[in-house]
Amino acid sequence: MAKILVIADIKQGVLKGSTSELLSKAKDLGAETAVLAIGSNIESLTNDLVNAGSDTQYIADDSSLELFSATPYAFCVLDAAKQFGADQIWFGFSESGKAVAPKVAAQLDAACATDIVDVTLQDDQVEITRPAYANKLIQRVKVNTEKLVAVVRAGAFEATEGISGTENVVKLSPPEKDVKAAIKDIISDATGEIELTDADIVISVGRGVRDQAGVDQVKELANDLNAGVGSSRAMVDGGFMPHNTQVGQTGKIVAPSLYMAFGISGAIQHLAGMTGSKVILAVNKDPEAPIFNVADYGIVGDLFEVLPILKEEIKKVRS
Amino acid sequence: MKILTTIKKVIDVELNLHVQDGSIVEQGLQYVINAWDESAVETSVQLKENNSAETTLVSIGGGDNTDIIRRCYAMGIENGIHIDDQSWDKADSFIFAKTLQKVYENGNYDLVITGKQAQDTDNGQTGIILAEYLGLPCVSNVIGIEVVDDQHIKVSRAGDGGTEIIDLELPAVVTVDVSINEPRLPSMRGIMMAKKKSFDQMDLSALGTSVDEIGLSSPKSEVVEFKEPKMRQAGQKFEGDPAEITPQVVNLLANEAKVL
Repeated sequence: MAKILVIADIKQGVLKGSTSELLSKAKDLGAETAVLAIGSNIESLTNDLVNAGSDTQYIADDSSLELFSATPYAFCVLDAAKQFGADQIWFGFSESGKAVAPKVAAQLDAACATDIVDVTLQDDQVEITRPAYANKLIQRVKVNTEKLVAVVRAGAFEATEGISGTENVVKLSPPEKDVKAAIKDIISDATGEIELTDADIVISVGRGVRDQAGVDQVKELANDLNAGVGSSRAMVDGGFMPHNTQVGQTGKIVAPSLYMAFGISGAIQHLAGMTGSKVILAVNKDPEAPIFNVADYGIVGDLFEVLPILKEEIKKVRS
Repeated sequence: MKILTTIKKVIDVELNLHVQDGSIVEQGLQYVINAWDESAVETSVQLKENNSAETTLVSIGGGDNTDIIRRCYAMGIENGIHIDDQSWDKADSFIFAKTLQKVYENGNYDLVITGKQAQDTDNGQTGIILAEYLGLPCVSNVIGIEVVDDQHIKVSRAGDGGTEIIDLELPAVVTVDVSINEPRLPSMRGIMMAKKKSFDQMDLSALGTSVDEIGLSSPKSEVVEFKEPKMRQAGQKFEGDPAEITPQVVNLLANEAKVL
């Protein structure tokens, strides 16, 4: 039986849904599962870790692990992987996962695959599938090593309803601090707004939204819907939206249930970050805008006329 | 400060890509500098201008790379190395990292700057693995660099919860995001000067290594097939009076798609 270690995705002390999605997929493959949680003051997460579908919980809980630092985190991953005897190590889609996975793979002399959307196991042959070339192509990749370290794309796997695990907690000893790449501080980008990659609904603004007043109007709708607010590159370059809201190949990759694109033409670069969404609504003046080629529902028209009506109608159907 | 910057020549992903029999159709492809590497080049050139760094670029594979190397010269890079005597089609990130390790060891650099990923494979691994092979500290997804002294730089990194501030001891490896800067357009004078400059064209033996040592004969993973993704189908498009069509669409979102 293959052994798969999933690295828990913890943000602001909360276990993210992606952890259960990865554990569900691992169980679907018939693997024995373990989860590794790294952080500070996280003992209260044990139940959540079990319920997410893990059979063993490795916990590295130390005040030195409060801020992300690649080397100590990699140390914890290697420690848990060794104790568990992991054949595969999976990270959820996160900046910390993307930083640690190649490091761990290099130390284990194992293959590394990022942004994967599928894994198959057949007679000891592991294959993964992943998009590349700005999502324009899909690659099927054969793994030639015994072990694999992977980062899973957001929304690639679904959590199994009613999945459960067994409690078997193993505490890890804390790693040494990295003095050569010493983390000093984090300037939080938490604005009280919903995080883009976690949001069930994402509403994005493009050039057609024009200015700050336009952005504010869209944000009102986002508030009503408890939605995350994303943007195209044009709005970031124009200084209307912060960099961390950019959706696309060079920004965030999102896969919400509903993606609403306001005034976004749909450049390849942007499409690479959102075509994994379940349902896409586009509002754009230009009937030829490429965004309509990927939208399930398209409204051709002036978004400033559409927006207030949309807001009211959505209120009606949700009440 | 001696800086080594890596650049990769990649397929221009703005153009349409097609697959036939599991491989990318070569016809009609165009090649450009990887966008993230262009930001790495700009970062190096700014460190040259503001902190008197010495800048060298290295490029692996890609056939004739004269055009992209000259472009980087025109932006302000001083020295160039091109390693190309093999097909690199089967090379994974570990193989590129092993090759770069050799380049680094021949050069005595203080800082390696790579793009955080290449826009063809989108792997985002090479710089991090290189640091591991060299036993050097590494920060990925860097969006700002400030020189502290000869042995230290302060970098900011776009992390999960915000911008991380990290004190980094040199020598070190950083991988940069495109948001770190806006790469300059080469000046006409720069372009003319670049035409007169040459670069070191090396094969693996000149680099002091071999196909087997860098692992090119035994990649850890290999692409067995390319496919074109199932394109999303264009759905229903509504034109006309917003007061009429908007409620229709909301109704569909609620009752057909069930996402409201």
